[in-house]
Amino acid sequence: MSVVVTSGLTRRFGAIIAVNQLTVELPDAGVIGLVGPNGSGKSTLIRMLLGLVRPTHGTATVFGEPISSPARYVSRVGALVEGPAFVPGLSARANLVSLARLRGLGSDRVDDVLAQVGLIGRDKEPVKNFSLGMKQRLGIAAALLPDPQLLILDEPTNGLDPAGIVEIRALLRGLGQAGRTVIVSSHLLSEIEAACDYVMVIRFGDLIFSGPIDELMARTRAHIDVRAEHPGDTERLLEALTVAGWVVTAGDGALRVATDAGSAADLNRAAAAVGVTLSRLVVAQDSLEDIFLAMTGRSEGELATGRTATIGEVA
Amino acid sequence: MLTATRSELVRLRRPRLLAGWFGLMGLFAIMINTVMFTAASRGTGPPAGGPGVSFPSAASLAASGGLVAGLSAASNIFGVVTLSFWAVVAATDYSTGLVRLLAAAQPHRWRLLVGKVAALTVVTGAATTVATVVNLIAAWPAARGADISTSAWTTSPVGAVASTWLNTFAALLVWGVIGLVLAVLARSSAVAISVGVGYVLVVESIVKMAMSGSSDWLPGSTLNALARGGTPSLSYAAAGALALLYVSISLGLALTVVTRRDITD
Repeated sequence: MSVVVTSGLTRRFGAIIAVNQLTVELPDAGVIGLVGPNGSGKSTLIRMLLGLVRPTHGTATVFGEPISSPARYVSRVGALVEGPAFVPGLSARANLVSLARLRGLGSDRVDDVLAQVGLIGRDKEPVKNFSLGMKQRLGIAAALLPDPQLLILDEPTNGLDPAGIVEIRALLRGLGQAGRTVIVSSHLLSEIEAACDYVMVIRFGDLIFSGPIDELMARTRAHIDVRAEHPGDTERLLEALTVAGWVVTAGDGALRVATDAGSAADLNRAAAAVGVTLSRLVVAQDSLEDIFLAMTGRSEGELATGRTATIGEVA
Repeated sequence: MLTATRSELVRLRRPRLLAGWFGLMGLFAIMINTVMFTAASRGTGPPAGGPGVSFPSAASLAASGGLVAGLSAASNIFGVVTLSFWAVVAATDYSTGLVRLLAAAQPHRWRLLVGKVAALTVVTGAATTVATVVNLIAAWPAARGADISTSAWTTSPVGAVASTWLNTFAALLVWGVIGLVLAVLARSSAVAISVGVGYVLVVESIVKMAMSGSSDWLPGSTLNALARGGTPSLSYAAAGALALLYVSISLGLALTVVTRRDITD
């Protein structure tokens, strides 16, 4: 059974279409990445699933229940929407107790979730003294309060240090492996690649891709990055490689040749043949970022840097 | 709904918020008693009072109800304080984004609103008690300093204090609900307080001057009459009915907005 099913789901804000005719089925276990540039409709989709925003057209269900009746499934859903939100003057524990009481839960759940996100010992401090990373942990703790079957987290690793990111990623993976469904919205593509089993890409409200992350990664292609020792030789090198039949793109003083590792020696020879010495020749694989940019197009630098999947290095 | 009330009560346990609220109520109780008895002792008749304040005569202060006259006299000032704190509490949900978490946890948003009103009612009861206690403490030295007799104050003090507490509390609840609806509409405590205070101190005073005699039904006059147990121009029963009407309209408006508006904050 799919945990979330949408059919023609649309939300307009005046002339702006935040989510456009979205039809998708999300599987009921594992970690699902929701990826898209800023303003692509990720948060609006999440808000519609939680009953915070009503759709303009279309339908959707969560656990088979319509999103027009969120009370039927809300006890099975935990969420962190657009960053952590708490009463600053209250302690972390008091904030969680307040939310637990709203859900009719006991204080024992508060202790559990504080331990899960590593905030035991800091829980009596006012939230206003917390760093962004600690607030983010508290936000995740609040989402975990109902021991949810479906966890929806909007940018959960925002503000976390590298160790915190690894910790939260492990927590999310653990929840996914335990049979929960975790929907993670993020623009950190490296995070999506590392943590998710399934990915959904949206751009300007349109669904670009939905499927297992392996299927998306299978679209990656190899390439070789080369750089001439003397920058003045770059033009000559570009011409020689193009004439030799390679597809070459230039950028940042280097050239990217669409070919695999088997062509590395031929490339080196072709450069030598026109008297150009290479200072760099790296065989690499497209990253998720490359695929994402190919799918969505570059848009005003809102993407965080993804990893470069280097699988071999020559010279 | 009980869960929403209990949840809100936890969020209201903010030392600075409560200290500010109760502190202002106590401070105004002291100030009004000091000023009111001093003005009455001058023997020049009751002054006109300022916005939100109406001064009783020296004879009224020496009567059995004089002990708690400060509460009634400054009911609109207490009302503005109450309006402000209800507005701050309601607007904080929007300014912090907490409303997203709350509505995601309790999709029946009317329960969130009713729970908030119930919790704020409890705290308003406590704030009214603080003002009453401070008033009771401040009235005696103020009367002695103004040379006004207090012998009648001890004839039936419990009844006088209880009825004044109840009337003041009822009036403050209406002020609070007005503050709540302004905050829900504006999603900003600053805007809600500016509108509320501006109305009481400026708009209603101007309307009163322009529409002499026919402005008794306005919120400030109505709630002042309710707190005082009725005035010559507006009976207690009429003030109570009008107050109920204001509460119903305000809560109806707040419920409509809270349940229908998308949460995009």
